[in-house]
Amino acid sequence: MITVNGLTKKYGERTVVDQVSFELEPGTVTGFLGPNGAGKTTTMRMMTSLVAPTAGSTVIDGKPYAELSNPGAVVGTLLDASAVHPGRTGRTHLRLLSSAVGVPASRVDEVLEMVGLSDAANRRIGGYSLGMRQRLGIAGALLADPPVLMFDEPANGLDPEGIRWMRDLLRHHAARGGTVLLSSHLLGEVEHTVDRLLVIGSGRIVADGPVASLLGGDGTTVRALDASALAADLSAAGLPVEPTSDGALIVAGAEPSQVFVVAAAGGHVLTELRPTERALEDLFFQLTTAA
Amino acid sequence: MTTTLIDAPRPVVRSTGASAPALVGLEIRKSLSTRSGKSVAVAAAILAPVVVALMSLSGESLEAVRGPVGALGMVTALVLFPLGVLATAGEWSHRTVQTTFLLVPNRTSVMASKVVGVAAMGALLAGISSAITMAVLTVAPVGDPSWAGVPMAVGVSVAAGAAFAVIGAGTGAALANTPAALTGLYLTILGAMPALRIWKPEVADALDPSNAVLQLAIGNGTTGNTLTLVGWVVVTTVIGTVVTRRRAVS
Repeated sequence: MITVNGLTKKYGERTVVDQVSFELEPGTVTGFLGPNGAGKTTTMRMMTSLVAPTAGSTVIDGKPYAELSNPGAVVGTLLDASAVHPGRTGRTHLRLLSSAVGVPASRVDEVLEMVGLSDAANRRIGGYSLGMRQRLGIAGALLADPPVLMFDEPANGLDPEGIRWMRDLLRHHAARGGTVLLSSHLLGEVEHTVDRLLVIGSGRIVADGPVASLLGGDGTTVRALDASALAADLSAAGLPVEPTSDGALIVAGAEPSQVFVVAAAGGHVLTELRPTERALEDLFFQLTTAA
Repeated sequence: MTTTLIDAPRPVVRSTGASAPALVGLEIRKSLSTRSGKSVAVAAAILAPVVVALMSLSGESLEAVRGPVGALGMVTALVLFPLGVLATAGEWSHRTVQTTFLLVPNRTSVMASKVVGVAAMGALLAGISSAITMAVLTVAPVGDPSWAGVPMAVGVSVAAGAAFAVIGAGTGAALANTPAALTGLYLTILGAMPALRIWKPEVADALDPSNAVLQLAIGNGTTGNTLTLVGWVVVTTVIGTVVTRRRAVS
């Protein structure tokens, strides 16, 4: 369990993170979303003691990060894939990390295989592509197979195969009881990967909850062969109807079953009937713009 | 990438943090795992012997070995500044300090490990350099010089190698910028100190660490020279450690 309580960071008069509080439970993948400069990276750096908070605290398994006896064995982090020495080979970099974390050197070959860098392991990191550096960073985070993974923009530079692989990795990690905090700008990718969303805007948490409840709207979306006739029947039944630009009807506050009953009574042929859902992008902009 | 995520057995992981000797060993491995680190190490080990070999080709005889060994020991120490700077400022320049502090959040421990590590490397490399230098002098055509005082000169060279590497580490940690640290150190030692010696020689005597090494190596050293070296080591290390503890990794 990770508990973040009232984390605040001020630089002079400027508050970049403002009373951020949340809990991360085992077995979940949490998406940490926010526009550039919202405070995601600063929050993650305060959680891992890289930046001293102005106020607030983070507790991981009952202790602040800096007091964990072997932090790398508890939290695997990828905060900046370019934070590597370009003169070292990938294998040398991971061997140094393995010594620091306390895993056998043989584990290095395992994680290199896992991320698909075995063939490039003896090449200098300076010659790696962005995607390769990203995978090297993921490999470093996985060395001790820690219970917590904290990744900041892990999909940067990854191709679609790599993004799918990373999504499966994170979901598998959570399925095994691990905790994942994932910050990303790739809304579509986050939507398919996470169970829960934390949205931060201007340094403050503006949304925190399961993806389904945050994205689920209140109403029903319906399409019919004769949309105007269906709209008339729905209005006559006292249900508010709003047509969309693409020919669908949004019936606010109604369950799909209510709409179906009206449609069936009028003999309407339906081509689509579902609960109305908001797109993550719409939610993102709505929340972060308001902040 | 493996496309099948199987429940492989978890790796065996040490439950505690790395021990102090392990951290020192890790810092030494980090220093010698890059081309720049290896280059500095090789340069420190062979510069003095190469200079002596070239000087011996002039055919001039030496009266005593102590002088060249001591003087070149000072030169070797100057070459060891970058070893320390790369160990600290190099991490900030390449941002590897992020990983270092994520795995070992106790920054005082990290600095202590780096200081001990570069001191050990500096001493060893200075010792190797002195040994090769003396080997060259035994076979070089330099006449029949006196070897009196050579153990003292070698001892001072080894200590100076350690001290200057640590001064480099402390300065690098304070500035967190490799070019700035190296430029600052060399301008101070090779520029400001000689200028100060012209203007205020007694102040330069108290402050100049390279002159302190030279005087100690040739047997003219005083307690003040020792204090000068110790002062540089302590001040740069303390400042570097304090700044490192307070600097955010952003």
